[in-house]
Amino acid sequence: MEYDRSNPHAVPPQVIVDFLKKIHPFNSLSDDALNELAKEITIDFFPRGTLIFKQDETEVEHLYLIQKGGVKLYLKDDEGVVTLKDYRGEGSYIGALPIIQNSRANLNVETVEDTFCFLLKKEKFLELLEQYPKFVQFFLKSFSQKLIRTAYQELRRHKMTPKSESSLYLFSVQVKDLIHREPQTIAHTESIQSAAQKMAEMHIGSLLVKDSGGEIVGIVTDKDLRTKVVARGLGYQEPVSKIMSSPVKKVSSMTLAFDALLTMMQTQVHHLAVEQGGRIIGVVTAHDIMVLQGSSPLYIFREIVSRQTIEDLYPISQKVPTIIRNLLEEGARSNNITRVITILNDLILEKLLTLLQDKMGQPPVRYCWLLMGSEGRKEQTFRTDQDNALIYEDTDDDNLRKEAEDYFSAFGKEAIEHLVKCGFPRCPGDIMASNPRWCKPYTTWKRYFEDWVMRPEPDEIRNATIFFDFRPGFGELLLGRNLRDHLAKIASKHTIFQYHLAKDCLEIRPPLTFFRNFIVEKDGEHKNRLDLKTRGIVPFVDFARLMSLRHGIKETNTLMRLQALEEGNHISRELYLEAKEAYEFLMQLRLIHQMRLIEEGKEPDNYINPGDLTDLEKKTLKEAFSVIGRLQALIKDLYPVAR
Amino acid sequence: MLGLVQRIFSKGRPVHPALKENWRFFQSFDQTGPIDAYEFTVFDTELTGLDAGRDEIVSIGAVKIRALKIVPGENFHTYIRPRNIVPSKAATLVHRITMDTLVNAPYIEEVLPDFLRFCHGTFLVGHYIGLDMKFLNKALREHLGGKIKNPCIDTMKLAQVYREEQWGNYYDQFNYQISYNLEDLSQEYGLPAFEPHNALEDAYQTAYLFLYLVKKLRSGGLTTMKDLYMAGRSWRWIF
Repeated sequence: MEYDRSNPHAVPPQVIVDFLKKIHPFNSLSDDALNELAKEITIDFFPRGTLIFKQDETEVEHLYLIQKGGVKLYLKDDEGVVTLKDYRGEGSYIGALPIIQNSRANLNVETVEDTFCFLLKKEKFLELLEQYPKFVQFFLKSFSQKLIRTAYQELRRHKMTPKSESSLYLFSVQVKDLIHREPQTIAHTESIQSAAQKMAEMHIGSLLVKDSGGEIVGIVTDKDLRTKVVARGLGYQEPVSKIMSSPVKKVSSMTLAFDALLTMMQTQVHHLAVEQGGRIIGVVTAHDIMVLQGSSPLYIFREIVSRQTIEDLYPISQKVPTIIRNLLEEGARSNNITRVITILNDLILEKLLTLLQDKMGQPPVRYCWLLMGSEGRKEQTFRTDQDNALIYEDTDDDNLRKEAEDYFSAFGKEAIEHLVKCGFPRCPGDIMASNPRWCKPYTTWKRYFEDWVMRPEPDEIRNATIFFDFRPGFGELLLGRNLRDHLAKIASKHTIFQYHLAKDCLEIRPPLTFFRNFIVEKDGEHKNRLDLKTRGIVPFVDFARLMSLRHGIKETNTLMRLQALEEGNHISRELYLEAKEAYEFLMQLRLIHQMRLIEEGKEPDNYINPGDLTDLEKKTLKEAFSVIGRLQALIKDLYPVAR
Repeated sequence: MLGLVQRIFSKGRPVHPALKENWRFFQSFDQTGPIDAYEFTVFDTELTGLDAGRDEIVSIGAVKIRALKIVPGENFHTYIRPRNIVPSKAATLVHRITMDTLVNAPYIEEVLPDFLRFCHGTFLVGHYIGLDMKFLNKALREHLGGKIKNPCIDTMKLAQVYREEQWGNYYDQFNYQISYNLEDLSQEYGLPAFEPHNALEDAYQTAYLFLYLVKKLRSGGLTTMKDLYMAGRSWRWIF
């Protein structure tokens, strides 16, 4: 910005250039083009309630870009009936369609906030459309899409760049990484029946066939058994050499999964022998590759079940995002998704603890693995921290008690280590089964809850909320259920305790006004971002928890709790539906936000930038937040001195 | 009248042609038409300090408003090389201006004629404009032989009027807690934010504030310059 004697007005209007750089399709222009364009723009201000366009009357002379504020678009028919069409906020346009169609304003446009707009002359806008195909694409596309969009469709379309993560896997994984076991072989002289028996025993679909010198000469697969034996009525005592495919198609251990898949497709075989240093180290099947590529939850389900060591479980949870993405693309709601994640994580836990039990020997007394917090509520998204605990049977036998203490202490610690390696980060608050405090016999747990409920300390209650969302995860589930029954019984009777929870519920203020004073984080790493979890999701969770404890409801899932509350006539049907919709939308927004971060290689978090949202999302989000106010009002009624 | 002004203020220095043109223009300037028929130059200066006897302008930023729309393509921004700057003062100077920038900048007398041409025929708008005008006119007297005659509008004064109008009672004007600082007002009204303490950015910020206030005052009922004067009756005109 140096002074130029010949032209003191040379400074390009930075404010406009910066703004245009952030919005489609202007961000596709070169810096020079943007600087030139910026000089053409003027800035106008419209107080709230200004009618910028009047339907069928206003000659549209400019394209309006909303810099700050918001407008509503509506139609008014001959009888004066008003139909609201859309809201537009910062970074969106008005006037494009009438300019392109060379018609008068097709809608009424009225500001709903004090609004600043950048104005671009009609002629200049038409010039851009002529010059840049991207502009045409953008504006034509947005017209047709506006007709069909709903909040959910919009979430899917705007927030998820189409990308198939599975194809990345295919291009990076080598076949040697797909081999789970040593190659299983059978002598060429052995009978078909013994081959079938061996395959059945080992739960495998193929055997390599050795000749007398130990060389691999062929392969038999379960398809051979079907097509060559059963279908043709071949004797079971015939040698396998009669039905084997020979020679075996081989690939190097370094072959990429993608190339292996191509080989299979080209040669029409489903099994490839993997060779390393002249030795066959295993067999890779089409199924192995499909598991890698395919993202159906079913595949992962089977994969978890078939794993035979704890270490084999480690990489599985990395595939969860791929599955979730596919589900999201197929239109799944957050509720379906958290359920899938819960099932998969429960399954991993079950497999892991079973294998660990096999390794450490049977436990001295029965136990139950408890899941807390979001796991307890079955509301996990991606990479949720571990929140768990362990509860075991009481015993009068001192020796047995000591033995149990030692066993579960070691068991808890090891389980946590493995879970960390499976991709479930440690709980920063150390609420995990590895912590001696949270690995206790039943009576101790009972006392913990009695202390919290009957003699509540405000600070402790705040830290203990996640315990109230526990559910039995694995082991002797009855232990967990009994504890839940006990809690339900005492919690509904102790109002002081409920008051403490109520106070917590009212502490979070929902962000209310929208286009402007969105309550965002004021400083730190997440400055100007909205904490979707704390400000949006937690209030619903807190509300459902308190109300469930109040009414002795044993459910832990927030949506199920809300439903149970409605069924028990503790909340109105209207409030239930509003809360359900709002909560699901917030969860959905969070899932998609986290999905995107994961795909960008970042850690998933809960901080969204309100500026990144489309107008419809903002509008829906605003509705969702307004529900929080209604929930809090109910709590204020029930616990009048809570604040 | 003209001659008197000249004698009093020019200290015998010949009057610069651009300034003569300024005087000529405003001698017969009708200030009663509709607001959107006029041009406004919204400007801000950065100073080395607040002492008009010693301190100097180190930067001027300005942007035009025409037909009550900001015209960012017509802006003016320059740094100015100060004469009596002492290095210790320079260090504390302001904000983002480096000594280097200033040393390479033109002296004020090179800048003033251009600025006069830029704001020719327009109202001058500034936030607490009295201060800017004091420094500007001092420099003009020293180097071009007199003061300029553009009528001035103070957005701070407008903001005070707007506040009184909103609250509808006059006790609040004695509430000294209220900030009329440009940044605070902009935040309060939800205006797009600019980097403070840069003359051009502050000029933009003031332009947004001006547009906001003119269209919000009297619930949008201001149409002529006379309405605007009446809204802020107690303004002190610079002349």
